[in-house]
Amino acid sequence: MDCLIRMEAVSREFPLDHSHVRALDHASLCVSAGEFLAIAGPSGSGKSTLLNLMGCLDKPTSGRILLEGQDTSALRPARLSALRRQKIGFVFQTFNLIPVFTAAENVEYPLLVQGVGAKERRARSAAALKSVGLSSRAGQRPDLLSGGERQRVAVARAIVHRPALVLADEPTANLDTHNATQLIDLMHDLNRELGLTFIFSTHDQRLLEHTSRIVRLCDGQVVSDSAASERSLGVLHA
Amino acid sequence: MRKFLLLAFRNVFRNRRRTVMTLLMVGSGVAGLLLVGGFFAFMFMGLRESTIRNGLGHIQIFTAAHFERDEVHVLDTGIGDWRQVANLARPLPHVLGVAPRIEFYGMMSNGVKSSVFMGNAVDPDEERTMGFSPNLTTGHDLDEHASGDAQALVGDGVARSMNVKVGDGLTLLAVTADGALNGIDVEVQGIVHTGFKDLDDRYLRITLPEAQRLLQSQHVTNLVIGLDATENTDRVAAALAPRLRGLGQPMVLKKWIDLAAYYKQVRTLFSGIFVFLGVIVFVMVLMASVNTLLITLFERTREIGAMLAMGTPRLWIVALFVTEAVIIGALAAAAGIAAGNFLGALLNASGLHLPPPPGTSVPMHFRVLHVPTLMVGSSALVIVSLALASIAPAIRASRLQIAEALSHV
Repeated sequence: MDCLIRMEAVSREFPLDHSHVRALDHASLCVSAGEFLAIAGPSGSGKSTLLNLMGCLDKPTSGRILLEGQDTSALRPARLSALRRQKIGFVFQTFNLIPVFTAAENVEYPLLVQGVGAKERRARSAAALKSVGLSSRAGQRPDLLSGGERQRVAVARAIVHRPALVLADEPTANLDTHNATQLIDLMHDLNRELGLTFIFSTHDQRLLEHTSRIVRLCDGQVVSDSAASERSLGVLHA
Repeated sequence: MRKFLLLAFRNVFRNRRRTVMTLLMVGSGVAGLLLVGGFFAFMFMGLRESTIRNGLGHIQIFTAAHFERDEVHVLDTGIGDWRQVANLARPLPHVLGVAPRIEFYGMMSNGVKSSVFMGNAVDPDEERTMGFSPNLTTGHDLDEHASGDAQALVGDGVARSMNVKVGDGLTLLAVTADGALNGIDVEVQGIVHTGFKDLDDRYLRITLPEAQRLLQSQHVTNLVIGLDATENTDRVAAALAPRLRGLGQPMVLKKWIDLAAYYKQVRTLFSGIFVFLGVIVFVMVLMASVNTLLITLFERTREIGAMLAMGTPRLWIVALFVTEAVIIGALAAAAGIAAGNFLGALLNASGLHLPPPPGTSVPMHFRVLHVPTLMVGSSALVIVSLALASIAPAIRASRLQIAEALSHV
C-alpha cells in the first residue's frame, strides 16, 4: 500500500523539570492519499503531538516521518516551511484566523505566501468559500462571524491551495454539537469531492460515527487502528 | 506586496489605544525636536543677520599682509588703491554696495574724563546703501556732507561712563601711519547701542575722511561688501575671487562665516545641545517601542504560530514587524510635524520674548522657524528608531517554535 504519510516508530519526548515526558511512544502509521482519518483518544493521549509531527511543526525525538516518501525529519527549517506551504493545510482548534483580514483575505493567505497572483488568488478564494457555503460572508472580518462560520473559513483556507494533506487538530472543540457535526460532514464531503486527505483529532465519540478510519491513542501509543483491524479481519476471512 | 502592506497597515490599527499612545509619544518627540530646532534655527538666523548687518557684511576684502599686522600701525597693511578694488566688486550681481572701513584704536577725552576707544571709520552713504545702519538710541547717523565739526557716534556705554550727550565735543587721539601722535575734535552726533556690552563701552564711529585725517593715511583697513541675500555669499565670492588676482597688492577675500567667530561658537554650542536632545528622543522612542512591540508579539504569538505553520517564510515575519514599525514611525512623524508646526505658529503669534542672551542687552524674540530639512531629519530619526526597535521583537517572532506558539494562551 502506498502511503501519503508514513510514521515509523516515532517517539517524541518533552523535557519536564529534570526528566522527560514521552508524549508519543513508538507510533507507526500509514495514511493513504484520499483517506478521511480520525485520531481519537482522551486528553493528553498524544493526539496534538502526533498531528504536529505529521504537519512538520515539530520534530520527533526518534523514528522517521515520510511525506510522499520524503523523510521530513531530515529537512532543514526552510525546506520544511516550503513543504508545509505546498503540501499541507491546517485547521486549528481556535481557528487562528488573521483578525485584520476578511474571510476572503484569510482564505487567500496560503496563496499569497505561495506567490500566486492577485487575480487567481481572488478566484480560488471565492471558490473555496463557496465550497464551504460562505460566499455571502466573504467580506466579513472574523470577529463578525460565528464560531461555526470561522471554522468553515479555516477549512476553506486549509484547502484553497489543494494540499496533499489537511490536518485538523480538534477542529470541533470550540463548536456546539450541531456545528461540530456540520463541520465534520463538510470535511467529509470535501474529502469525497476533491479527493483531499483529511486527518483530524477529536475526543468526541459522536463525531467518530462519521469517520471511516479511526486511530486510537492512549498514553502516546497507538492502541487501535480500525483500518488495520479491518485488514486483519479481511485476512482472517480470506 | 500590496496585501502584505495592507496586513501591516491594518495590524498597526488593531489596538487603537496603544497605537494612539505610541503615536502621541513618538509624535511629541518629533514636535519637540521641531520646536527646539526651529527656535535654534531662528536664533542662528537672527544672530547671523545681526552679525552681518552690524557691520561684518557678507564678504570682506583685506590685503594678504593684514593678518600679520601690528595693531598700533593699523594702516601699514591697509588697502592702498581701494577704489580700484571696490570697482571690481560693484558690478557683480547681488552686490548692494562696497564700503571702505578703517579699524583703529586710540584715546578720547571730553576734558573731564578720558577713555580708550575701538574706532570704526565708515562711508555713511555706502553703509546705508547696503542697509547697515547703526542702532541709534538718540541723535542721528553720520552725514559726510554736513558742514561744521567732524561727527562721531559713540556707544551707549561710552556715553554713560564719560557722561557724554549728543552735541558734546570729544578729542580723539591716535597714532598716525608714520608713528606720530595726532588728534582731531569731533562732535557727538548720536549714541549707538550695538547689543554687545563690551563693545558699547568702547565704541566710536566716525566718517572715513576724518579717520584718514586723524591717521594721516589714504589707506583703508578693508572693504565690506553687502549683498541682497546672505544665501548669495558663496556665489558672489566665487565670482569675485578671480578678479582680485593680479592687483598690485595681494588680496584676501573672507566670507562672513570666516570672520564670525562668536556666531560659530554659538552655533557649535547649540548644535551640540540639539544633537543631545535628538539622542534623548532616539533612546526614548527606541525603549518605549521595544516594550510596545514585545507586548504586541506576546498578544499575537498564536497568530504568528499559525502563519508560520502555513509556511510563511520567517523573513516575512521579520519584514511584517519592521514594516509595522516603519508605518507607525511615518504616521508619528506626520503627526509630529503637524503638531510641531501648529505649536510653532501659535508660539510665533503669541509674541513671546526671552531675556537677553549673555553678552547682549536686548530681549530676544521667541520665534520658531519651519525648517524643511529639520522635518525630514526628525522624521528619519523616528522612523529609523522604530525600525531598529522592531528588529529584536521581529527576530524573536520569526524564531517562535510553531507548536509552542500554537498552544500559547
